Amino acid sequence: MRAVYGIVVREFVRFLRQRGRALSSVARPFVWLIFAGAGFAAVFAGRSEIDYRLYMAPGLLGMVVMFGSLLAALSTVIDRDAGVLRMMLVAPIRRGTVALGKTLGATLVGTAQALVVAAILLPVVGLAPTPGGALLALAAIVLTGLALGALGVLLAAGMRSIENFAGVMNFVVFPMLFLSGALYPVRHLGPVLHVLAHLNPLAYGVDLLKHALLARWADSGYGGELPIPLDCAALALFALAGLAAAGPLLAREGGVARAAFREQR
Amino acid sequence: MTAAAIDARGLGKDFGSVCALDRLDLEVREGEFFGFLGPNGAGKTTTVHLLATLLAPSRGSARVAGHDIRVDGLAVRRNIGLVFQETTLDRDLTVEENLRFAARLWNLPEHQAAARIEAALRRFGLFERRRDSVRSLSGGMRRAADIARGILHEPRILFLDEPTAGLDPRARRSLWELIRSLRASSGLTVFLTTHYVEEAEPCDRVAVMDRGRLAALDTPAELKRVAGVASLEEVFLARTGHELAQTGAS
Ligand SMILES: Nc1ncnc2c1ncn2[C@@H]1O[C@H](COP(=O)(O)OP(=O)(O)O)[C@@H](O)[C@H]1O
Ligand SMILES: [Mg+2]
Repeated sequence: MRAVYGIVVREFVRFLRQRGRALSSVARPFVWLIFAGAGFAAVFAGRSEIDYRLYMAPGLLGMVVMFGSLLAALSTVIDRDAGVLRMMLVAPIRRGTVALGKTLGATLVGTAQALVVAAILLPVVGLAPTPGGALLALAAIVLTGLALGALGVLLAAGMRSIENFAGVMNFVVFPMLFLSGALYPVRHLGPVLHVLAHLNPLAYGVDLLKHALLARWADSGYGGELPIPLDCAALALFALAGLAAAGPLLAREGGVARAAFREQR
Repeated sequence: MTAAAIDARGLGKDFGSVCALDRLDLEVREGEFFGFLGPNGAGKTTTVHLLATLLAPSRGSARVAGHDIRVDGLAVRRNIGLVFQETTLDRDLTVEENLRFAARLWNLPEHQAAARIEAALRRFGLFERRRDSVRSLSGGMRRAADIARGILHEPRILFLDEPTAGLDPRARRSLWELIRSLRASSGLTVFLTTHYVEEAEPCDRVAVMDRGRLAALDTPAELKRVAGVASLEEVFLARTGHELAQTGAS
């Protein structure tokens, strides 16, 4: 549909135009690789089955998609403040179409970032995926982007203003990252956190990426742990549920910036 | 008898305890230039958003272009154009990119869109600035781009919500010129909200709104004759007991 295409194109053009955002999103995983990599490698030392930086690679890719797609989708809050959301809502398209367009745009932005990072990161850590593994990794990246994009649109639709952004980072992004298996296997976590990990879309994405990239180390317990179809189904479910909920929420109060009315009252 | 472009029956909207629009009965004829006059807070924007299906009514209903706003939002939106009180353009995109974005939202085929975008850019004097980001435009040019965006899909009914706010006199004049030529060439129905009486003068009919209620509705000449006064300003005073400029905060 043309409207969806239009929303996706706009999202991508905006991303390319914000040079700083594009650069920092590509640089971020390497900062983690250097600093977190060094720290956790020391803890990991002694287990010689896998180099920690290798272990980290799928998680870092997952992290790139998460930040890329989630932040792009959260820009819906900015769209509402700037009025652009109203332009979309007054167009002869369904509310769900707007949510879908934003989600797909966010997925494209996250996927593009992950592919650029993968092209540098995998050779750096010395990972050469098989063709099948590369394809599965691409599917994992796209599915993770969809799930987190939809979640981001949903969060943005429910958020009053961009001021709640820090809350989202503290209560959504960081828990999601630390409970994803990106930095350490989640099976070592206590039962409560382990259950929480199963409610975490990123955990399924990272697990899928481990299937794709760390299959060689599966026997020593560093590959993907859940069945591949389960990972895919869970991610698809997050994407669909997020989309279904975001559509109606997005149109609340006509997409008018609510901040304006708090001042008037 | 011509069909009604807009037909509101007991239309109303509350925001929590605030009654923004009480019970509006209103008929706007096809091809009419309709003025919706009232001070800030009178409920003009609320009315426009209700008619454009951006808000759900708390009571009553309305038909716009023959479609019920409560059940057939898509069909309503297909027939209308709306220029919002505040700009809705993406400041990070160029003027042309904004119009292309709008053309896609309105499902215009690319080749048709390209022709219309170029025509609109020329008509609004934006052609030389088409590759500039909206951020870099003056207020008047931004407004022009907003209006170009609003009519790109050639709507049957055009809502203009305080379109002259922030425009200098020259830009205002060219806006009136434009409305005149659009109406002459396409039989467009125009629903114009304003809090300036002089802007309501050229309208075919004017609704005078006060605190969510319809205080008067007639041609500007008839309104003045009945109230026995020389200006719409005084009509407002006579009908509401207070002056247009005094109510509501800016
Ligand atoms: N989304 C909203 N939330 C709360 N109050 C609102 C909202 N929109 C409008 N109002 C209130 O409704 C009244 C009418 O507002 P509005 O329709 O914007 O008037 P106008 O456009 O004539 O200036 C005002 O008191 C305004 O504060
Ligand atoms: Mg208003």
